[in-house]
Amino acid sequence: MLSASLYIMACSARNRLRVRMRRLREPRYLVGAIVGAAYLYFSFFARLRSRSALSRTRGGADGRATPVSQLLQSGSGIVAALFLVGAAIGWILPFNSAMLDFSDAEIAFLFPAPVTRRSLIVHRLLRSQLGLLFTAVIMSIVFPASTPFGRVRWAIAMWVILTTSRVYFTGVTLARGRLLGDGGRARQPALVPIAVIAAAVAVVGRALIAAFAGAPPANIRDLAARVEAALGSGAAHAMLWPFLALARPLFAPWGLSFAISIAWALGVLAVTLAWVLQTDSALHEAAAHAAARRAGDRRTRSVAPIKARATGLTLAPAGRPEGVFFWKNGVQTLRAGGVTMVRYLVPLVAIATAATSVALGALRMRGGAAAGFMTAVAVTMFVAILGPQVVRTDLRSDLAHLDTLKTWPLRAADVIRGEMLWPSAMLVGIGWLAIACAMMFSFAAFPSVALTGRVTVASAAVLLLPAFVTAQYLVLAAATVLLPAWVPIGDQRPRGLDAMGQRLIMLFGVLVSVIGIILPGAITGGILWLVLSRIVGDIAIIPAAIACTVTVAIIVAAGTEILGPLFDQMDITSVERAE
Amino acid sequence: MAIAVERFRRTYGDLTAVDDVTFSVGAGEIVGLIGPNGAGKTTTLRSLAGILRPTSGHVRIDGHDIVDDPLEAKRRLAFMPDEPHLFEYLTVEEHLRLTARLYNVANVDERARVLLEELELSGKENALPGELSRGMRQKVVIACGLVRSATTLLFDEPLTGLDPIGIRKMRQTIVARGRGGAAILLSSHLLHLVEEICSRVIIMDRGRIVADGTFAELASRADLAAAGSNLEQIFLRVTGRDVAG
Repeated sequence: MLSASLYIMACSARNRLRVRMRRLREPRYLVGAIVGAAYLYFSFFARLRSRSALSRTRGGADGRATPVSQLLQSGSGIVAALFLVGAAIGWILPFNSAMLDFSDAEIAFLFPAPVTRRSLIVHRLLRSQLGLLFTAVIMSIVFPASTPFGRVRWAIAMWVILTTSRVYFTGVTLARGRLLGDGGRARQPALVPIAVIAAAVAVVGRALIAAFAGAPPANIRDLAARVEAALGSGAAHAMLWPFLALARPLFAPWGLSFAISIAWALGVLAVTLAWVLQTDSALHEAAAHAAARRAGDRRTRSVAPIKARATGLTLAPAGRPEGVFFWKNGVQTLRAGGVTMVRYLVPLVAIATAATSVALGALRMRGGAAAGFMTAVAVTMFVAILGPQVVRTDLRSDLAHLDTLKTWPLRAADVIRGEMLWPSAMLVGIGWLAIACAMMFSFAAFPSVALTGRVTVASAAVLLLPAFVTAQYLVLAAATVLLPAWVPIGDQRPRGLDAMGQRLIMLFGVLVSVIGIILPGAITGGILWLVLSRIVGDIAIIPAAIACTVTVAIIVAAGTEILGPLFDQMDITSVERAE
Repeated sequence: MAIAVERFRRTYGDLTAVDDVTFSVGAGEIVGLIGPNGAGKTTTLRSLAGILRPTSGHVRIDGHDIVDDPLEAKRRLAFMPDEPHLFEYLTVEEHLRLTARLYNVANVDERARVLLEELELSGKENALPGELSRGMRQKVVIACGLVRSATTLLFDEPLTGLDPIGIRKMRQTIVARGRGGAAILLSSHLLHLVEEICSRVIIMDRGRIVADGTFAELASRADLAAAGSNLEQIFLRVTGRDVAG
């Protein structure tokens, strides 16, 4: 099986490289690759060079050590304690290990093959090595180090840590599956690691509490010294030992000392691997579960959790074509996100905000109210600036259905407008709720501000938000129509240097284009504000916001009409599925 | 002619998938489109449906050009693809309502009920595509195509994934629509199905039409006379695959 795994890895790597090199003949991939390479160079390698130069001018000392890196470099105890916390959290969070996520081809070829389930796990572990090595190398570049050996040491240590954690979380996934699925007797072995981790957390936690009880640390070095002292001996040290063994190679000096520490870390990896491989039945269960999720038909995996719940949205038998998309995308969001959550979340947020604001005002807790206000403003800003990038229930998500859309007897401009309608309405709704929350908090946070000022600013924000959101959706629709090959379909995430470059270009292009769309509105609104503010004062911001939004709305409407013919010419073969 | 294809050509980069194809299908005619893998059948059907733009040539549905007058052309046709692409979050009934709204279908409730019964989908009205088998999803796609009164029906491998009862029902459905006056173009690798329900057959190979006519016409063609009257034998002969056999 090992030879088969290596053969799959070698052939896949070679063919992937060949495909990517061949793709570079096309300008869209070549440009993406150049931008991606430039980004990587300036983000990591140029930084590496400038750090080396800085380090040379300062006589070899690393002058850019941050408080966090100082803390981490001061001892392996803190890092080991963090590993323990991560190991404990792994049991609580409902995430499954990616190592059990077998591909369709692996299920089709390897599951029916005469190989043990353990071999399958080893195969998955081997296949994950390339990604883990890449991550380790990038981390060694990012982390400050004064010598090239320091970076190599970091890369090796990080690789062992990442591999161990990958194997460990696979074990957690398997054990969790046994706990949830098997009978009482079979559950007992799965309870052992939980008991061990819980005991370790209790012992280490007790030691740390004792170290800091009554005397907070004076500075970071004091904190590090006390942690090292608390965890350096006794029961806490014993319980933390596997995590310390993993952390030590990060701090060991190059040479024999490093070799010994890495040997111990590899020992921990071996024990973790043995723990994962010890129960063939659990592996069988997990493999079967993975097969059930992926085998045969991709739809089973993607839609299994969806329920055909009533959404409250009904499709009228006749009306504007845009309404069809509003309804379709609305049903999708509500069924995917949970109707109940949406139904109750909005009134709950409003009531909770109002009650909190009143309470904070009565208690004169202006700091708390200001924090609430800032949070609400941050949510509004997020909705306005990044919301359309995140909420993809528009033409981007329907690229997978482009062949169906193309058969519908609808004007292309109507399709584009319709696809923008639901996500825009949803984001504007969320943004308006956040503005209302900010308004409520502002009474307690800034009691001296006049009511008219408060209402004026909030009204302007309410009026401007749709302009920001729809402008972005127009640009994203344009990007989808003009560069469909750069838009990931569904939950796909294209990989590679060219894909990374494409994403960067898209992000930059969207931001520039949105500014281009909003600018005429801002100029119109600005002129109106200049004229009216002398007559009506601050309230002039409201007609200025209306003028801005109307201008942007006209541009957006015109933009959808311009995009219409381009959508008609859009070739379905230019929509690509990620590797 | 309900379907009129004139000097149609479609390329993918350097590859010519369909080259200089001309044919027509009249109202009430059921025409089989057959050919080996990669012959250009699906490309032709997808271009007729308005999914792919012809590189050159013309495709007209009831006289409406699919490029110049796409809305009128699309209103008249229904395309049932081989791969059932459904919206994951819409139920069977919602798919039918969506189609009815898009094509201005009146009395959708009654039509939907009859169709669901005809296609043995009764009881699955509130099921999501993820809860259906492949065959059932194929039936939903077909139901969406038939819920409107399209004058032109395009079927791409309509029997894929159907059980024997479904296959029989589908055959009856296609024949009934043809008798009702619809122009039907049906692509299939099941030559016995084509032989049974089609009045005419178009054979494509390497992007070109290599034979077009009724079975009698094809069987009487001088170069095919030796092949016999069986569609399979004719198919193998015109596509040059009968040498090994």
